[in-house]
Amino acid sequence: MSRSSRAVVTMPKTAKKGEVFSIRVIVQHEMESGFRHTEQGVRVPRDLIRSFVCTYNGNEVFKADLHSGVASNPLFIFYAKADQSGTFEFKWQGDNNYFTVVNQAITVS
Amino acid sequence: MNQRRQLIVSLTALSLCPWGSASAMPSEAMQAMQAIVGTSIVNTGRVYFELPPLVESGNLVAVKFSVDSPMTPTNYVRAIHIISEANPSPNVVSCYFTPLSGKAEASTRIRLADSQRVWALAQMSDGSFWRTSVDTVITLSACTEMV
Amino acid sequence: MIKKQLAQLGVLSFFFAVALPAYADQRQSATALMTPSNQAMQNDMSLNPALFWIMDGEALWGDRSNPAGKACADCHQDVKQSMKSVAATFPKPVKGKLLNLEGQINQCRTSRQQSPAFAYESKNLLSLSTLVAYQSRGLPITASTDIAVEPDYRKGQSLYFQRMGQLNLSCAQCHDDRAGLKLASSTIPQGHPTAYPIYRIEWQGVGSLQRRLRSCVSAVRAEQYAYGSPELLALELYLMRRATGMQLESPGVRP
Repeated sequence: MSRSSRAVVTMPKTAKKGEVFSIRVIVQHEMESGFRHTEQGVRVPRDLIRSFVCTYNGNEVFKADLHSGVASNPLFIFYAKADQSGTFEFKWQGDNNYFTVVNQAITVS
Repeated sequence: MNQRRQLIVSLTALSLCPWGSASAMPSEAMQAMQAIVGTSIVNTGRVYFELPPLVESGNLVAVKFSVDSPMTPTNYVRAIHIISEANPSPNVVSCYFTPLSGKAEASTRIRLADSQRVWALAQMSDGSFWRTSVDTVITLSACTEMV
Repeated sequence: MIKKQLAQLGVLSFFFAVALPAYADQRQSATALMTPSNQAMQNDMSLNPALFWIMDGEALWGDRSNPAGKACADCHQDVKQSMKSVAATFPKPVKGKLLNLEGQINQCRTSRQQSPAFAYESKNLLSLSTLVAYQSRGLPITASTDIAVEPDYRKGQSLYFQRMGQLNLSCAQCHDDRAGLKLASSTIPQGHPTAYPIYRIEWQGVGSLQRRLRSCVSAVRAEQYAYGSPELLALELYLMRRATGMQLESPGVRP
């Protein structure tokens, strides 16, 4: 049983062949560090997104390993270059069976 | 006599080690870097690391890092690792690039537990390592609240 | 004689035309005190985490899973049309009772959807209030000046000027008298509720104006007013009236 949450991808719908464009992704996740305590002194269990992978037509474009030091609702702004039309896949995986995937198509001329 | 000799030996060792320079990094951050770098030399420079010198809330700090590189299959930036000297866990985030990235640049938002030095360590396709650091002061909001 | 009077009139007119209007609106939202990075986070919705609460609100807007089988959308249709400028008018009297936005949402919840009211700071209430407040982004605040809520306004005003807590401070002492000065390393804001609900970096989540007011009260080491209490509602009315005409920035980002 996997948990998932909202993810918003902002990227152009079209690009010129070889053009480098920016992609921004933000995903809804508390990124509970595991270092916080309740008022009663009980440790709040760690619950993090551990990895983010962006692939393009199956090829890796950008990847990140996330640790407790990444802020809540993780945001990444990175770049990509497309030589042909296709689909970008954005995948987040984390603790407690967390898994979110979003796809976005792009037309390259 | 023995103690003084030991001190001289360890001071010499410190100056020869690839980290070198003025202040020694807190050991955990050093270990985290060592785990990535192994026995390679770490050069200083080439990495552009943007982090505000004064931060109002350590819960969310916007950072940007990049390395100027042609990003061709034979010459690209493999990864940039962000390492903290004062967080409970030294590894903050590692970003991995490929020639399809087009540009070795990323922005994200991190947590910083206290005023500290933060490192950006870049790993190149030719196996070389480059690093830079930014010192930052973290403040807390003036009025602490009850949860 | 007449020339002298005309000259005096000229000077006075100049004063009122130039100097007085410049004095008139020195109100400033706390957005102006933020770093450019945080301002960008607030203004660009693709960077603003409150976006997720808006999306949750949109899902709830069409949700019919309640005993009456009614969704918000069934009465209010498109939220972008029906809720435009609504958040900017609260608190206001509704059927003789002073309500804030949360109170109005709960009134619909209990009467139209025949369900228990949402608790303050619950995900559902925050999602709906963020969604509705977002529809008023960029619009001027027009809180109620209805004579019926005058007693609540006066109560809010007296609470604002009343010293409280172990630190024995009133809201006015910081946010009127010392706004712009520093408390520790933070600049004291004027305290206008222009951006609520906010994504507060310190909370790492979205929260209501009442949550923020409660944390101010605990900061001066006074006992916090309960969520939904008449005191907090009166303070909300006073603060929104004090901010009348200022632009709503909801959902805002605050440190």
